Amino acid sequence: MTNAILVAGIDIGSTYTKTVLLDETRSVRATAIRRSGYKPAAAAAAVFDEVMANAGVAKEDVTYICTTGYGRYMVPFRHTQITELTCHAVATGYHFPAVRTILDIGGQDIKAIRIDERGRVRAFRLNDKCAAGTGAFLEKTARYLGLETGEIGAYALRSERPVEISSVCAVFAESEVINHLAGGIAPEDIMEGAIVALGGRAVQLMKRVGLEGDFALAGGMTHNLAMIAALESKLGAPLQLPPNGLGQLNGAFGAALLGLRRVERLVAEGRAIAAPAGDGDIKPRRWSTYVSSPSAVSVSA
Amino acid sequence: MAITASEIETSLTGILARCHELSLRQHIGEDEADKVIGYFPVYFPEEIVHAAGLRPHALYGGGNRVEVRYADARIGSFVCSICRSTTELGLNGSLNGLGGFFAQPICDAAKHMAGIWGRNFPQQDPQILALPQNVNSAASVRYVYDEYQRLREILAQKIGHAITDDALRASLRVYNENRRLQRALYALKREDPARLSTVEAYLLIRAGTRFRREEHNELLRNALELLAARHIRPMDKPRVVFLGGFCEQPPLEMIETIEDVCFVVDDDLLIGQRWITEDVPEDGDPVWALAESYIQRSAASPVQFDARKRKEDVLMTMMREARAEAAIISAAKFCEPGLDDQLALSRWLDQEKIPYLVLEFEEKMTSFEQMAMQVETFAESLLFV
Repeated sequence: MTNAILVAGIDIGSTYTKTVLLDETRSVRATAIRRSGYKPAAAAAAVFDEVMANAGVAKEDVTYICTTGYGRYMVPFRHTQITELTCHAVATGYHFPAVRTILDIGGQDIKAIRIDERGRVRAFRLNDKCAAGTGAFLEKTARYLGLETGEIGAYALRSERPVEISSVCAVFAESEVINHLAGGIAPEDIMEGAIVALGGRAVQLMKRVGLEGDFALAGGMTHNLAMIAALESKLGAPLQLPPNGLGQLNGAFGAALLGLRRVERLVAEGRAIAAPAGDGDIKPRRWSTYVSSPSAVSVSA
Repeated sequence: MAITASEIETSLTGILARCHELSLRQHIGEDEADKVIGYFPVYFPEEIVHAAGLRPHALYGGGNRVEVRYADARIGSFVCSICRSTTELGLNGSLNGLGGFFAQPICDAAKHMAGIWGRNFPQQDPQILALPQNVNSAASVRYVYDEYQRLREILAQKIGHAITDDALRASLRVYNENRRLQRALYALKREDPARLSTVEAYLLIRAGTRFRREEHNELLRNALELLAARHIRPMDKPRVVFLGGFCEQPPLEMIETIEDVCFVVDDDLLIGQRWITEDVPEDGDPVWALAESYIQRSAASPVQFDARKRKEDVLMTMMREARAEAAIISAAKFCEPGLDDQLALSRWLDQEKIPYLVLEFEEKMTSFEQMAMQVETFAESLLFV
């Protein structure tokens, strides 16, 4: 067991679960990423084990665990949870104090976040209703074209004449993709067309929080060079990208930063920090969903 | 042999499941017909009913399990949920077994409940128990005493014989024990909120409105014994106090939504059940002792003005004793006393720079997503700013 402060940030997204282990100097000690699958809690536990193995530390060495992302409440061994909006804002503000608007294109939603000079959220907009506005749309298009997710960006950059994908609905957009394929359009032009269409919708969302520069991109899309180029073209300005490969880990990094801030405050106030929960720890029951025996709940005569 | 953590949870779950069932139970069984006296919150001197050999039945509305159909023809939609759903329970027959009904002039809506009851259920002999608006008058104890004696007479007529002082003293003893157990429960919650959630404490207290206090005392004793041995790893959450549950009760989902991200270390939920804050003297005139305790040894609520208990001071004391760093000031929709206090307390909290969150609720709320986002943002601001 070490005496150093180590804080883990775990971002349980709809598609990927990411984690960052920070020490008290705010240096990244290790990271890990894996698919969330259909058991986000299990993915969080696995990714946490992986990050500890990568850093060569044990569970009891980790001082504090912050979760974020849509599965943030599903992790029983967390100390606290934080919304991904706050995490992205803090992480981006840490790297780029001049950034005022952040874009995060996730698997199931897009987030546009406006922040102030201290990395605090001032306004935000989410697009989580329409699948045509999410990373899942790109993944699906890639699958039609026989591509892996990681190949999307480089493949699309080969495009010379991107085709227009006009539908605002993912279902119709897919039909368009199939029609274009049947019409003999080059796959890279279709892929680039899908990226340009998604990028356009993302910039529309950014406009709704107020397009104030500098701009930053966070999330898995930071690996996609074609998307970065499409967004920068629409914005007419460069996008800042989290350094050192932290793009996809931005939410987890923000969670870890906030966790460290919390630890510093608790230490300064002389307050105890509980050890992370074990497997056998008790989880309080939700009595609002408890179903009593029918005879006991009768409310009518 | 020491009891294991798993055995503690199993036993506690059994107790809480029973409390949960009792809390939802609105229908008065045939076996209790005419032996139950219903009353509208906030406070009612249950000891006098208990001494008569009857069971006091607090009417905390229908919660989110009752569809208001018949009551719409009697009460406007701009009236709070608890008045509407209580009337619905009367009209749908759930409360046919009541042998009496008491309302109190705590607000415009509640004071008319006796009139509504009189028109629709005259056989239940609805009455108003007029607790004083001015508790600071020198005559206030005498006034309460006279009202309690009137209640004693009404109940004596129902049972066909007088309610003796000895019977009243015996009831005071039972209720004093109940108050001690409730205080112990809240002390434990303030000390270690992870060990006893607010919903659990709420269910344990609310169960007392559905059976005799002797049985409730037994239940609380068992629960406290188990809770003393329970250990739950505390998550890192801000400590807050919750106000707004003095009359209409918020849905359990709302309390759970708050507790997902905060420790509620003190509250005014079911405050009428905990109204008298110390033991009532068991010697002397028992009715006088009860009346004096109502004035001199009592909690506070938005439905009463007491110059000795400035609302801001009451909140400050509550926060200090519970080591809370923030407050959640809620009110039921259309609740004038609650909303008045919400405004006054918000201004004061602003002035004192104490973090707070304002929420509104009603019995039939179904969506808590927006509230969850508000509470989570509030908790984040407390933890990280």
